[in-house]
Order: sequence, then C-alpha cells, then structure tokens
Amino acid sequence: MNSKYRLGIDAGGTFTDFVLAERAGGSRLYKALSTPSDPTLAIRNGLGLIAEDLGVDLEEIIPNCDLCINGTTVGLNALIQHKGARTGLICTAGHEDSIEIRNGHKEDGYRYDAEYPPAVMLVPRNLRKGVRERVLSNGTIRTPINEEDVRAACRAFIEEGIESVAISFVWSVLQPEHERRAAEIVREMMPDVPLTLGSDLYPQVREYTRTSTAITNAYLAPILKRYVTAVDAYFRSLGATSPVRYFQSNGGLAIGQLMADRSVYAINSGPASAPKAGLHVCAPFEDQNVITVDMGGTSFDITLTHEGVTNLNKNIDFLRYRIGVPMIQVETLGAGGGSIGWIDDMGLLQMGPQSAGSDPGPACYGRGGTEPTTTDVNLVLGYLCPGGLVGGRLPLDRAKAEEAIRSRIAEPLNISLEKAAYGMFTIVNANMVNGIRRVSIERGYDPRDFVLVCAGGATGAHISAIAREMGISRIIVPKLASGLCAFGQIISDVKYNHMATCPVRLDNDEAYARVNGLFRQLEEDGTRQLRQDGFTDENIRITRSLEMRYLGQVHECTVEVDSFDITAETVERLKDAFHRRHEQLYTYAEPASTVEVVNIESTLYGVVGKPDDAVLSKGGDSDGALKGTRMAIFSSSGEFTRTPVYDGTRLGAGDHITGPAIIEETTTTIVVEPGWAAELHESGSYVLQRQHQG
Amino acid sequence: MEQTVGKPERSQQAKIDPITLSVVRGILETTQREMTLSLEKTARSSVFNLAHDYSTALFNATPEMILQGQDIPIHLGSLIPAMKVIADYFGDDIHEGDLILHNDPAYGGSHAIDTCMYKPVFYEGKLVYWTVCKGHLTDIGGPVPAGYNPEAKEIYAECLRIPPVKIWDRGKPRHDVLNMILTNMRARRDQEGDFNALIGACQVGERNLIRMLEKYGAEQVDACVDELLAMAERQMRSLIRTVPDGTYEGTAVLEDAGHGFGDFDITAKVTIEDDSCHIEISSPPQIPYFINSYEGNSYSGVYLGLMMFAQLPPPYNEGLYRCVSVNMGPKGTLCNAQEPAPHMNCTTTPMETLTDAVRLAFEKAMPSKVAASWGHANGLNIAGWDTRHDEEYVTMVLATIISGAGATPQQDGWHACGPECCFGALTSGDVELLEHSYPIIIHRYSLMTDSGGAGLYRGGSGTAWEVEPLDSDMTFIMFGEGRRLPALGAAGAGSQMTDTKVGRLELKRDGKVETIRDNTIGVIKPGETVTNMNPGGGGYGDPMQRPVDKVLADVKLGLVSLEGARRDYGVVIEDAGSLRVDLDATRKLRAA
Repeated sequence: MNSKYRLGIDAGGTFTDFVLAERAGGSRLYKALSTPSDPTLAIRNGLGLIAEDLGVDLEEIIPNCDLCINGTTVGLNALIQHKGARTGLICTAGHEDSIEIRNGHKEDGYRYDAEYPPAVMLVPRNLRKGVRERVLSNGTIRTPINEEDVRAACRAFIEEGIESVAISFVWSVLQPEHERRAAEIVREMMPDVPLTLGSDLYPQVREYTRTSTAITNAYLAPILKRYVTAVDAYFRSLGATSPVRYFQSNGGLAIGQLMADRSVYAINSGPASAPKAGLHVCAPFEDQNVITVDMGGTSFDITLTHEGVTNLNKNIDFLRYRIGVPMIQVETLGAGGGSIGWIDDMGLLQMGPQSAGSDPGPACYGRGGTEPTTTDVNLVLGYLCPGGLVGGRLPLDRAKAEEAIRSRIAEPLNISLEKAAYGMFTIVNANMVNGIRRVSIERGYDPRDFVLVCAGGATGAHISAIAREMGISRIIVPKLASGLCAFGQIISDVKYNHMATCPVRLDNDEAYARVNGLFRQLEEDGTRQLRQDGFTDENIRITRSLEMRYLGQVHECTVEVDSFDITAETVERLKDAFHRRHEQLYTYAEPASTVEVVNIESTLYGVVGKPDDAVLSKGGDSDGALKGTRMAIFSSSGEFTRTPVYDGTRLGAGDHITGPAIIEETTTTIVVEPGWAAELHESGSYVLQRQHQG
Repeated sequence: MEQTVGKPERSQQAKIDPITLSVVRGILETTQREMTLSLEKTARSSVFNLAHDYSTALFNATPEMILQGQDIPIHLGSLIPAMKVIADYFGDDIHEGDLILHNDPAYGGSHAIDTCMYKPVFYEGKLVYWTVCKGHLTDIGGPVPAGYNPEAKEIYAECLRIPPVKIWDRGKPRHDVLNMILTNMRARRDQEGDFNALIGACQVGERNLIRMLEKYGAEQVDACVDELLAMAERQMRSLIRTVPDGTYEGTAVLEDAGHGFGDFDITAKVTIEDDSCHIEISSPPQIPYFINSYEGNSYSGVYLGLMMFAQLPPPYNEGLYRCVSVNMGPKGTLCNAQEPAPHMNCTTTPMETLTDAVRLAFEKAMPSKVAASWGHANGLNIAGWDTRHDEEYVTMVLATIISGAGATPQQDGWHACGPECCFGALTSGDVELLEHSYPIIIHRYSLMTDSGGAGLYRGGSGTAWEVEPLDSDMTFIMFGEGRRLPALGAAGAGSQMTDTKVGRLELKRDGKVETIRDNTIGVIKPGETVTNMNPGGGGYGDPMQRPVDKVLADVKLGLVSLEGARRDYGVVIEDAGSLRVDLDATRKLRAA
C-alpha cells in the first residue's frame, strides 16, 4: 500500500484530538473543541485545520490515508448522563427484576448514605416484559415460547415509544431458539427498532450479566448507529478508500456496522488505547511497568500496565452496570482542566467533579464562564502562557481567571488570590493521586516501581506535583502527550472477541471434539469477517482462551492457549496450564480433580502495519530555546518565583533543563517543579527525573 | 461479665512516612480483598462462591484485628473474640506451618456451620500475623441437612462441633483428623473442596503479608499498623463525642416463629460519656430452640448496630471498638447463651433483633442520623438427590433471604439488598449458576409489590423466590423470622397494610396454595413449588407526607398497588389504566 498517511481522531469531553501520522515517520497533532451536541462537527472542524495547515484539500488527504480511526465518547456520555435510547426488555416471565435485584448486592461495604443511591435503571420496571417460555439447565425446552406474550410486549413498547429492544431469556446461551423466535416477532411488529439478543452479544453462562450487557447495548445502539452512519458518510464523501475504524474498549479497532450492533464495546474506548501508547513511548527506555495518566478537559483517566500486561476485565460493574464483554481496565474520575472549584457546606474547598466543559469552558476562555476551573488556576499560578493554548489558537484571559477565583474562592475563604489558586491546585492533585492509588496501591502495586506517562493536554502542568505526592521518581512526557490516545489508536490492530459457551468435562473424546469444533467455527466466522474487511491470512492473528474450573467450582480461571486440536494426549497441556494458573492465583491446585470447560473465546486480530517513528535531531544548547521568564507559584505560601520558560519546539535531543522551569509545546505545557530535571530524548519524549528525595 | 475489646493505646509518635503508611494500608486492604476473591473463585459450595457468605480478616500477633474486611458484618464482629480464644487455647504451641480449624460457638464462634480457618504467619521465625477466614459450609453434619434443625433442643442435636483443632501441624496435614471431620458431613466432595478454598485463601493472605514485610521491614510495618488502629480509634471517638452524653434505651420485639415460647423483648442500653460508649444488653433466659446466640455471635449484632449508625469511612479494624465496652447480660440468656443451648439460627435470629435494639437506642440519641431497620432474614435450605451426577446435594439458598433495605432521612431504601445482618454484602447468585449447581428450576425471582415499609421515604422491596425440583423430591427447611412483625420504621414511619410487608412461604400443590409462617421442614415433588417471600425494609418519616407524585411513580412501576397507595399513603388513584389521582379524595384521606 502506498498511502501516505494514517489518521487518528480521539474525541474527549473538551477537545477532539487529531493525529496525522506519516508513513515515513513523524506525526502531527491537531485539536478542535468537542461538540457534544453534534459530535461530527468537531471532526469537520479538525479536518479543516489539517487541510489549512498542509495547504491541500481534504479530498487529497483522506484518500491518501490507509486508515482513518475514530475513538468516540458518544456511548460513554449517553451512559453517564442516562440519555440513551428509550429501551424495552423482553425476558423470561418471573425474571423481569433480575436486572434491578442486581444479585442482591450493594457494592460498597458498610456504606449506606445519601450520596450513595441505588443504581438508576436503564430500563424501568414497567418496560421489562416477561414472556412465558423456559429452557432448562440442560438446554431442553420445558415451556415453549408464548408468542402472544411477545406481541403484547411489542404493543406496549409501541405505545411507550420504545426506540430499542433487548431480548434476554434464561439459558438462551444453551438454546437460542426462543430468543430468535421472539426477535422475528419484534422485527415484524417494530421493523425499524434496533434489536439486541443476549445469546448473540454475550453467549456465556450468567443470566444477570448477559441481560445487563444486552440492555446496555440496546440502550446505546441507536446513538452509536446515528453516529457511525454520519461519520462513515462524511469520510466516504471525502473519498476514503477503506471504511473508518472505531476504537473499542477491548483495545482494538472495529468497523462502523459492528460498532452499531455491538455498541457496548464502545463505552470506554477513549482511554483504552492509553496502555498501548504508554508502552510504545516507554519502549526506548525498556520500561514495562507503566502508569498512564490522562487529564483532559473533563476527566482524568488512569491505566496500569505491569510487566507489559494490562488487565482486561470481563463481567465487571462499569458505571454501576454489569458488563460481560472484555474491557481494558481504566480508572476514571471527574478531574480535568474544566473541573470547577467550589466551597461545600462545611466550608471546605472542593474541585469537581462538575466541569465547565468546552462550553462555556473555564473563565479564562472568555466564553462567558464565571466558575473558577483548574485551567484558570494554572494560568494564575503562572504555569500557562497568557498568550494562549494550542499554539495561540485559544487565547486566555488572565483577568477573568483571577476574578473567578477571587470572587468564588479567595474572598469567601478570606485568603489571598495566590493562596486560593495554589490550594485549588493542591486539591485537584490530591484527587488525582487518590485515583492513582486505587489502581496501584489498592491492587497491591507500589507506584514507586512504575514510570508515570503523561497524556492529555492538561496533565503536564500537574505531572511533577502528582509524581512528587506518589513518590514516583521518573516521568515520561511525549511531545504528543496531548493526543496520546489518538496516537495509541493508530498503532492498534483490528480486534474482535468471539465467544461461545461449552460446558463439558474434559475427560472424553466427544468433549474434545465439541470444543475443537466450536473453536473452529468461531475462528472461521471471525476470519471470514476479517477477510471481508481486506485482511489476508498472513495479517490475521488468533489467540484462544478457555474458562476452566474444577468440577463443582462455579467460577472459572481464564487460561490462554495457542491453537491446537485437543486430543486425549494434548488435553494434558490444557489441564496443566489450568493447574498452573490455579496455583499461581490461589496457591494450590487439585491435580486429581476433574476439570471442566465452561466458556471459550477466540480473539481475532487483523494486524495493521505501524507507521515509523521519527528521530529528533540532536540539540546543543537549551538556552537557545529560552523564551523568557514568567512569575510562577510553587508552594502554598503563594510566593512567586521567577521561572525560565522554554520553547519546546526549539529543543533538540539530549537537551537538559533543571527545574523550576516551564516547557511550552504546541499543545501542552510541562511544569518542571523545583527538584526535578527534564531531558528531551531523541524519540520525542521528555524524561523528567527527580533530583533528590524531598 | 464486662469486656473491653483491645486496650486503648495512644497513637505512636514515631515518624511514619505518610506514603508508606498509605501503601501499607493499601496492601492490607488488597490482601483481604484477594483472600475474599480467592475464596469466591475456588469454593465448591454455592453459599461461598455465589452468595459471598464468607469473610476474611487479618490479625497481628497480639492478636488484634488489623483489617476488618467489608464482607459479612455478622461474621466479623465474632472473629474478634474467636481469634483471642484460639490464641489462648494453643498458647505457645503455635508453630510455622500450623493451620487451625474451628466452628464451635462455645469457643467464640458464631454458628457452627460458619467454619473458621486460622493460619499463623511467621516471618524470620517469629509469629507476626494471622490470616483468618470464615465461611458458611453447605453442611456440618447432624440430623438435618444444612445444619438448621428447628427440632433441636440441644446443640448436640444440631451439628458436628469442632473446638480449635490443628488440621496441619508444622506444615504436615493431619489427614486422620480431617477424615474424621469430613466423615461426619454430607456432600463430602464439596466440603473437601471448600476446606481447600479456605486454606488457599489463608495462604494468599500469607503470601502478600510476607512480601510486604520483605519490602518495608517489620519495624516500619508495625508502626504503620499501630497508626491505622489509632486512626480508627480516633474516628470512632470523635463520632461518639458528637452524640449527647446520656443513657438511651432501645427495645425490639423478637417474634415467635413457631417455637411456642411467645414473643421476646431484647433491650440495649447505650450510655454515652464524652468519647466512649457502653452498651448493655438484656434478653430473656435461653430456650430449647435454635435461636440462642452465644457471646461471640452477639458481638457481631452489637457492632453492626453501632456501624449502621456510625457510617464511618475506612480504615476498619479493632481500633474502632477500643472506646466501646459491651456487657452481653448474664450467661444463660438468649444473647449470652451457654451449653447446651441450640443455636444454629443465631446469625439471623435473634441477631437482627439485637441489632435493631442497638439501632433504636441510637435513634433516641440522634434521630436525624439513624436509618430504618432492614428486612430480617427468613429463608430456605434445600436438599435432595442430584440424579445428574448421582450424588446428594444440600445448600442454604441465600437468594431467598435477600430482603429490602431500610429508608434513611434522605432517601428510599434500596430494593433487594438485605437482610439486615449482611448489610448488602451477600449476593443472591446467578439464576443459571444456581440451576447448574443444583437440580432445581427457579420460576421466579422478583421484587414484591407493597413489600417496602411505608414512610416519607419508602423502605426497599423484598424479594420472592419460587422453586421446583427438577426430577426428584426436594426437602425444604425454613429458618428465620419476620413473618408477622414488619421491619421497624424510623421517625414515625409505619404501614397500615402489613400482611404484604412481612415474610412467608407459599406452597403450591395440586392447584392449591398453602401459606406457612412457622419454621417448618417439608418435602415437595416435581410439579410442586415453594415460593419464599421475604420482608421489605422499614420506612422513614410519616407516609402521609410522601409526595403524591412519588407514590404515583411507585404505582406505575408496580412497587405499590392501588390499594397500597390508598391504605399506606392515603393517595387515591382512580384506576390502573389512567393512573389519575383523585386529589380531593386524597386530601381528605390524608387529613383523616
């Protein structure tokens, strides 16, 4: 392929990032304000910037891209704000409430207070319709489906203006016939309504997980469908040579049709590319323990990679909804450049989780915002250039920032403007530190064993303060930090999870044949799909995993294996892998006990070639990049320190800067606190090292 | 008989690195969570792996509980005295590689089916910690499957009693002892698997703790642990300081669930003095029925009442209780039972009534802070023959006791997250996983209309669980109470329509429905079903003050019936189709 470019577009709460990578090496980053009410508008605006910058028409750029990749937050936003489609559920009579009983569980220990209400139901009780039908645990039909019940449900749905329907029956995973029949009836009566079947979407044992996953999917499907239809059409109109790929929460790419059908795979896709990007920028330093932190306008996302491996979660609660399908583990909190500072009932200063977003945005944007935000704080502390963000495209108004902090925080607390600003800075940092603790310390990892990788436009101002609080001594800040997730997307592969349930004891030839047959079928289906998408066999990679357990156990261990036929001989390899995994996790194995398989999964990758990395030319003297000095605050005393400011775009490989200092890149500003030093590496990343323990 | 658990200790002023303190706290919490996860993932018994009816904790060498897991509250309070009894019993005969098993209530246990495993953790030859877990097995021997025997007059007729016994001695398993124990239990394969799971969990804990000591050194870790205990103590003391000094009394009524001895009063007298709190319990003499609570179990009930009120953030450890002293009343009473009192039902009955009594006393002290009572446990055990695998099955069905939570001064109670003694920590288990494990068909698992207690804030709904055996006879064994007295409301809440608020069992046979309210053992065949219904939570505040639109929303969702709206809330709705509120009639009814 002789395409010149690859394009990655990552929509965040405030900015949409555009990374245009050249095949020959080197990437350009562009940013446009996100437009949540019409997400495709931000894409148009951003592409306009690219065309303007390169001085050519989009019709020349887009056809020259081998891939255009888009990470979208439309699904996530709809789920957070409970603004998904009006959804109805058709389920087994008697089990309408399993989604609200939620396994009878309250997540949070002894806690039972006013700030901890029950989860909001995506499908309220009156829109969950039971159908008389029943499949038993051995897969046989005990009660045939009552079709009139399905029709009655549809009539009620039509009357209620239902926009999307989920169907999930008990044991449909063993016998999908009833779900399929119900689907036919729904299609007949509600031909335009998207339909999600539990047995299609998540064919694994566990009714509650399957139903919840199906409901979440149905709730988001119309929204994702609207979105990908618009984006696909726009890129086609620009002459795109292959379909737009969308980034999924499993860390891989998918085409638009699949994204619309399996919209639950979209819910946390934005930050899911961070681990891949984090490992990539750390590769020159051979760091395999990486924490990525990404502070955008609205939220702060954290991922942790230990010894090169990032956890993939299945069957977890996400935003309090049980999701079965695999997702990269991401911790998200409401702390961003737009997070608003406020004073609570007890007179304590708080930051977020409310955000000024991009409209009106922080007070200093001068778009009518009057609430003091993190960005206003960074401006008043002297960290940000008053000349503006994004290379001056977004000028900042210091007077408005000061006024917001003074009137909302400093005066009510009766402290100076500078002290108020540093206090707000400290609190937003503490919130982020607590988030990092949750993914590291609370899971048994010592953050001091990790490198902190800085992603997101707003993170650079906080990164050395966060590292200081966590006791972390090494930070990597890529020049592309602000668009790191978009960059992670363009180095990712197409990835589809294909699952099946297959409860057999591993002690007979019939069982082996069944597992082999199912794997083959999953992989044939998956391969066909990837071939249609233009992949050839040498670019298709397949991994297998089996969920196994000892007879009588109810939960499974996931065992990853390579592709081989299971026979009376090779089954020992499988069992050994399981015994080893069990012992590794739980300290013991029971080699004499019978082993059974429950669920199987094949992951199919369509491997895409990666653009080359650029190499920075050697620098010489960092003084050449010195732009001037700015008064900045680095302590709670609120005192100003004269601080050198460097133009990052004029620094070369090997250039060294000692803190306190501020490095201004086009789309991010890095604050090097006193006690830290930064060095620019030829791969295009700054390495910040702590100089002494303090 | 007065006891203060742990001794008050001032915080160590030795300089502790705040990051290391956070790390140590995180490792302890993670260790406990990993032990819990390990139990859940490896256990055979559905009571463990589906229902989370187990708990784990960490102790130091003293032994003080240094981390109280956020598992089942009823298990954890009792682990504090039990651990001390175990350590005393073996004295200096505790060695690296020992594993101690115990279930007996006369040695600080809760009920004997909750079996505890204790592993002393040694570092550089010295006893440093104990990793402990406790789990509800599916069977513990005795005449009735699953341990609950309403006919028992003595503890000897309930179960196999296991006083503290070493099942591993210096790293060597004592197969003869284990075999003796397992020989006395039904469904041996499951029990054996569950012992392995308990041992595995203790080892997971040990592995993490040793790693922590290797990294941070015993001295530094000890200082951090002491500080964590002191932090919890400071939190509890400053909370108690906000409660006005004085003595407050709460009395809750324990209903007669079929034993024929009548209703009983359980009273808690709470005395607050500055930053400390003394709780005195009085209860009637013990009875020859399985609802007597030995002292260890009663600690759980008292501590839960306190924690429901306190709503403190973590860390949770024994430091919380340093300023709390408890007198459980004279030996030989319902809440301080002694041999040979039968006891198997005690973790729910009378425990939840004891918790209510403590809660009521605190309601008097600070009515604006307390939540209403949660639905009490009233559930089923099932047993029979599994023809699919040609083996016996027996289990407690925790899905049957998932009741409604109490309302608070700020919001409606949660649906389906009780019972009170578990405070949301149990899980019901997935319907498919239960049907996979046992030869049953679950026809219904749903919220129940009109079950939440009426109030300005409504109590959460209870649940109904209907089961039919797949292909052979099934024994069902009822336990618990809450079938006559609804969950207590708070701050003036109360329901007119009480028959739907309480628990009961419906037996459907030959087209007839029989309602059972006493603890009973019965047998059903394929084609017949039993439906266990359990109570909703109590309401908070005057139901006549509940906004009409909220009542209407509940009606629309099927949580409250038209009759319930009228009787409990004084809201008159014309018909189910239009859902139009008759405002005039409503005003009159509410004013009456």
